[in-house]
Amino acid sequence: MLVDDITQEVRRRGAVDTIRAGIAQAPALGKGLGFTFVLALFGAAGRVTIPISIQQAIDKGFVAGEVRLEFILRLCGAAAAVVLLAAWCQRTAVYRLGTAAEEGLYGLRVRLFDHIHRLSLADQNEERRGALVARVTSDIETLTMFFAWGGLAWMLDLSLMFVVACVMIAYDWVLAVVAFAVVAPLIIVLRLVQRRLVRAYDRVREGNAQMLSAVSETVAGVETLQAYDAVEPALQRVQASTKRRARASIRAGFIGALLFPSGEVFSVFTVVAVVGIGVWRGDAAGLTAGSLVGFMFLTYRFLEPIAEFTEVIDQTQTAVAGLRRVLGILDTPIGPPPAMNPVALPPGRLGVALHEVTFAYAPRDDEPATNVLTALTLTIPPGQHIALVGESGAGKTTVARLVARLADPTHGRITIGAVNVKHVANDDLRRRLTVVPQEPFLFADTIAYNLRFAAPTASDAELQAAVRALELEDWIASLADGLNTQVGQRGSALAAGERQMVALLRASLVNPDVLILDEATSSVDALTEVRIARALRKLSQGRTTISIAHRLSTAARADRVVLLANGRVLEDGSHEDLMGRGGDYKRMYDAWLTATRA
Amino acid sequence: MWAMVSFHKGYFFIAVGGAAVFAVATVLSSYGVQLLIDDVILPTFDTGGITFDTWARVSAVVVVIGLVRAVGVVVRRTYAGVANQSTAKTVADNTLSHLMRQPAAWHRQRMTGDIAARAGVDTDAAATILGPMPFASSVVVLLIVSGVWLIVTDVWLGLFAFTVFPLMLVMNILYQRKVDYHYQVAQDELGALSEAAHESFDGVLVVKAFGAEDRETERLAVISRRLRKARTNAITLRSTFESLIDAAPSLVNVAIIGFGATRVRDGAMTVGELSAFVFLFTLVSLPLRIVSYLFSELPHSASGWARVQQVLNEPLQRAPRAAILPSDDAMVDLRNVSAAHVDGAFALRDVTLTVHRGRTVAIVGATGSGKTTLLHLIAGLVGAKSGTIRLGTTRVGLVFQEAFLFAESLRYNLTLGADVAQDAINRALEIAAADGFVRDLGVSLDTELGERGVSLSGGQRQRLALARALAMGSELLLLDDTTSALDPSTEAAVLTNLRLLGDSVTTLVVASRPSTIALADTVIFMAEGNIAAAGTHEVLLRANDAYRTLISAFEHDRHDGENSADR
Repeated sequence: MLVDDITQEVRRRGAVDTIRAGIAQAPALGKGLGFTFVLALFGAAGRVTIPISIQQAIDKGFVAGEVRLEFILRLCGAAAAVVLLAAWCQRTAVYRLGTAAEEGLYGLRVRLFDHIHRLSLADQNEERRGALVARVTSDIETLTMFFAWGGLAWMLDLSLMFVVACVMIAYDWVLAVVAFAVVAPLIIVLRLVQRRLVRAYDRVREGNAQMLSAVSETVAGVETLQAYDAVEPALQRVQASTKRRARASIRAGFIGALLFPSGEVFSVFTVVAVVGIGVWRGDAAGLTAGSLVGFMFLTYRFLEPIAEFTEVIDQTQTAVAGLRRVLGILDTPIGPPPAMNPVALPPGRLGVALHEVTFAYAPRDDEPATNVLTALTLTIPPGQHIALVGESGAGKTTVARLVARLADPTHGRITIGAVNVKHVANDDLRRRLTVVPQEPFLFADTIAYNLRFAAPTASDAELQAAVRALELEDWIASLADGLNTQVGQRGSALAAGERQMVALLRASLVNPDVLILDEATSSVDALTEVRIARALRKLSQGRTTISIAHRLSTAARADRVVLLANGRVLEDGSHEDLMGRGGDYKRMYDAWLTATRA
Repeated sequence: MWAMVSFHKGYFFIAVGGAAVFAVATVLSSYGVQLLIDDVILPTFDTGGITFDTWARVSAVVVVIGLVRAVGVVVRRTYAGVANQSTAKTVADNTLSHLMRQPAAWHRQRMTGDIAARAGVDTDAAATILGPMPFASSVVVLLIVSGVWLIVTDVWLGLFAFTVFPLMLVMNILYQRKVDYHYQVAQDELGALSEAAHESFDGVLVVKAFGAEDRETERLAVISRRLRKARTNAITLRSTFESLIDAAPSLVNVAIIGFGATRVRDGAMTVGELSAFVFLFTLVSLPLRIVSYLFSELPHSASGWARVQQVLNEPLQRAPRAAILPSDDAMVDLRNVSAAHVDGAFALRDVTLTVHRGRTVAIVGATGSGKTTLLHLIAGLVGAKSGTIRLGTTRVGLVFQEAFLFAESLRYNLTLGADVAQDAINRALEIAAADGFVRDLGVSLDTELGERGVSLSGGQRQRLALARALAMGSELLLLDDTTSALDPSTEAAVLTNLRLLGDSVTTLVVASRPSTIALADTVIFMAEGNIAAAGTHEVLLRANDAYRTLISAFEHDRHDGENSADR
């Protein structure tokens, strides 16, 4: 199943289930959560100390015009002790929640890395790559932000409201009901405004993205714009986008400004009502002056977190959505499943064979599954060098991927050294078979680092030996720092041809029995071309080699040429045979010759 | 900071006004609490009752104060946003228009991403300071008004407040600075992690091909552990300090109750006043907390502004186009022109060249021989060090090696905002052999291209770039290896179309495909920044050894193929 389908399915999972599943994937999140909450409750006690102290002072400290100083001082001492103790409880609760969150999210991240590296290539293609990076960074970050703020607020605010509510009820349940009654309309108003605010912020984000991309595009296109004297209209275009963004932000700011003091406005009305009803009920109801004053303070405390709470709810929704996406990745089955009872590849040269192999990518977005390969049978004896040719979409790259077990065929089987690749342990396979991709990927480090990617334990001498074996000494010597030359981001400090040479060296360090070469299409200068051709010849010597040939000169050099069309073998034989046969291959070859001739 | 305010002073001061109203109303609201206690609650329980009117009067005062305070908040926040956003817009527009007037040579010495950031995220960062500034001003007013009120009511309590307020403020700021450090470290680690994850996922094919999944996961886990460490450090600090800072106002309030009780005994203050002070302290402690965020914003904003200033203060360099003179007869007339690379090395040396109207000229040369520089000079994109450039037209269409398309409508991409008739656009698409694929893709002139729209192949992009040059009525076409991304038959069709335009278009084309070169009237062979030879392809092949060597290198692939075929 593909990431998209899984995400669809997971989207139906409720918030509570999602959180439960999240805790299952990151057990550190849930560990000791109960005790943390108990500590938070004790911590909240510190915040009701002052209202209670005032009540006590007024009722028992200032009796009939007399001030009982000794009582008040004792009261103050006790209050100070409670405040400090509560502060310690709160500190511990915050610390426990925070560290548990970091521990849990770290575990979740590492699980994600591991899982993503093992996803099949269909779930790993370029369009999805950005999304995968977003899962391990921004989605996990929404969870981090949640624990740093929203999660904390849930814990502290809920504890505070609970404790305050208890004290209120203890003072006078009628007044408590009055205070509680305000919460419902307040929340309704807040939710309404909040919803508009969320929409307004969506527009801000959109405007922001548009503006930033308009700016960077205009700067990137400066030469084109200047060449056509079109800077002015381009600037006007950007100014329209900065204006749109400013408007959206100002609007969102206004809605936010309205929302901000709403809790306080409600508090004022509630306090006035509470005092009015309290005064009206008076002594008869067992109320005292102190408890009414204390109640007034408690009312402010009680309503204080509510405005914040509506934001917290939104943040919680965002976090749950992030968690859902993360779980969606973890629920996606990993690529070709590892062999259960691995069979060791036989020693010596290995042949490769495809038996009735059919391959189709899973259907996606209304597009039905179409076969990329259809019942393809192909036997490559040990040591043979074959070239796969054909138009793009003919299935050449798919054959290479299936042989390298980067994907499994839908039907049929593939054997290497007469062993089904599905039964070969990954480590075993990677030691005996290597792929040189069309666009070789290099890591932003030295050439040596990139070579050791294939052979982590290789010594400097071994790297030098590999360079000599492929006759690339003169090239390495021409580089400023030799093997220690930095290749830049994705190898950008090297020319395309140089990246290919690194890839060939890297492949040679594995010393594979089967070599799969996806030929590059980019043109390189003549000297590099010669070096690459020489290195390729050296590298493929004595190895079973499958070349995906874009230049038909490569095909002409191979032992055997296989022309693929629509996932089937159309022609198969040596270059000379096929040219003599006068079929599609000859036509392709002739057309190619004409194109490159003056 | 003041520089930021100066762009839209009016909005800013409305926000500050709102902030002042908020601050005064905050202090008054604790006066309201005092009235409720002294005039309503205490009389009820001490003397056995008050009139409804008394309650209504006091309640009205409390409610009005609360509403005024709310209005102050709304005005402050709204106009702080207006000032912030208007300033961000003004500065971004000014910065970008300055940047775009710098010539290509200036841009080539800098990274595109960095330049774009100056007009984008940096101006945003600079302007954000306007958001919390009015709030900070309200905190100052709040502290002064409440301090004065406290002193007037009770000198000792007032003095106490003037000691405690600043102390709490300093505590908050110190804490903020420390915790920001850890968050900054965490942010840096997150950036590193994101970059590494991107790289690792991008290279998934290599990772899988070499069975390096575990090693790569561990590499990312190491960075994640550093991130966790930074975050845990922040949490440790935060849990301790925030609990203390939360507890501080309560402790101060305990002290006020104790000390206030002696003042009440002496008859120096009422119980209502005492409670009001306790209430006031609760109200003031939150703004003290929040204002410390302002101090953590400051360096961020200041560095953003510094980066913006840096590019704004660079004087505009002269536009190279201004040095190009009109020519009466020849289309292109270069006399002893020399030009330098950004690093100062010679790109062109003493080049003299005349091209007549309607001709097609191929420019051939090895990498680094100065072909691209020659075209950019003629297009007025870069300037000459010496020599004169005369052109027979001002309508020059340079088509770059890499076509640059905007994530905008097809129409915008063809006209770059200029007013071009529909017919001219259609004709341009036809000549550039782009009409076919545009139709096949079902693209209309209003379809968006690029990231969010239709994605195009390299050859298709090149043809659109050529169509752009034609649609904009170029009389002199400069094609920098433009057609090499096309397949040979399309390339031949495009070049034939251009020749059919006759005298109305003169074409200079950098070419490496022998078939393309053969289509030109004249070939200019460049080597080491100079014109080594000129003539027809056949003549040069016969007479010039270096030219022959270069052409055979271009043909290398073909020969290679033929040789093996002969084997």
